[in-house]
Amino acid sequence: MAMWLRELRERLLRAGVAPRHVRRYLTELREHWTDLTAEEERAGRNRTDAETLALARLGRVDDLARIMIERPELRSWTARAPWAVLGAGPVLGLVALWCVALLILWSGDMWYLGGSLGGSQTSFVPPHGFAIAYFGAGRMLYYCAPLAAGWGMILLAGRQRVQAVWPVILGSIVVALLGATGDVDVRPDKGDVGIRFFPPASQFADAAGHALLLFVLVAFPYLVWRWRGSRLDFEPQ
Amino acid sequence: MFLPYLELQGIIAEMTSRDTNPNFMNGVPELLILRLLEDAEMYGYEIVQAIRDRTDSVIAVGEGVVYPVLHALEGAGALKSRRKTVAGRSRIYYSVTKVGSRRLADMAAQWMSLAGAIQKTLTGGLYGDVVA
Repeated sequence: MAMWLRELRERLLRAGVAPRHVRRYLTELREHWTDLTAEEERAGRNRTDAETLALARLGRVDDLARIMIERPELRSWTARAPWAVLGAGPVLGLVALWCVALLILWSGDMWYLGGSLGGSQTSFVPPHGFAIAYFGAGRMLYYCAPLAAGWGMILLAGRQRVQAVWPVILGSIVVALLGATGDVDVRPDKGDVGIRFFPPASQFADAAGHALLLFVLVAFPYLVWRWRGSRLDFEPQ
Repeated sequence: MFLPYLELQGIIAEMTSRDTNPNFMNGVPELLILRLLEDAEMYGYEIVQAIRDRTDSVIAVGEGVVYPVLHALEGAGALKSRRKTVAGRSRIYYSVTKVGSRRLADMAAQWMSLAGAIQKTLTGGLYGDVVA
């Protein structure tokens, strides 16, 4: 990618323009630049001059950035409401992933175990074959959900070059706390399958350790990215 | 009466260095783009060329300026886009939707009214004679 396009991309993303608009804008500008270069070459200019003139006709990076940034409707929700998107987004993502995991548990029980979670009197049938993989997928989803939700938030923040640290830290804390304290709660007598968030007092230490681990795993990639970004910003060009 | 038109979308016509950039060009790129795309789908470079050709270069929209307008119009449902590969080049073609056609009709009517009023004023007539 040409230097001016890279510079334009970074400016637009940092200013809050939605990544999909930025991506398309850059694609269109690059194609437009190619067309203008060809036009200048047809007019008899050599390649270097044609490219320079084409770039001048397209506009300065400052102007190309400004006309996009001035349009509020092209801003992403991550830029408009970072606290909501990065704070509530991962919670909703976590809940959604856990719901899928519970659905797998419940449906697997119905299909392979005869509904034993619902208090069925059917004798227990050990799972085998595809059932093991099915339950395994649900279990993996359940355990990985906090990380997936947290990393999804980090990805959103990174794509948008979000400069504020606290929304991401808050989102990481919330995901870590929910992920560490949430526990599958099966009540065969009532036929309920759910998740409870209040561990017994004896498990507080474990939950705290788990929360700290999740927080580090979620926030670490973001902090590394920020650290690298700040170093690059200060490097002489 | 002119104010709503001038405030429409806050579009700024970026003129190339060889042209002037009067403030009353606000909204003109949007109007021209909608009108051109009503005839045929086009991509950005074609749109800029078509504006220059059809206005005999009187109006020269800045080359990069059309894209934010196109994105905003698409976001408002006035345009739709599709990606097409032509001769190995990836093009994003835009065309007008029904919403866009209605918007064009409204804007064109406002523009005709405005232009007529200015014309009448410049030639010494009465504003009320022209504008309904």
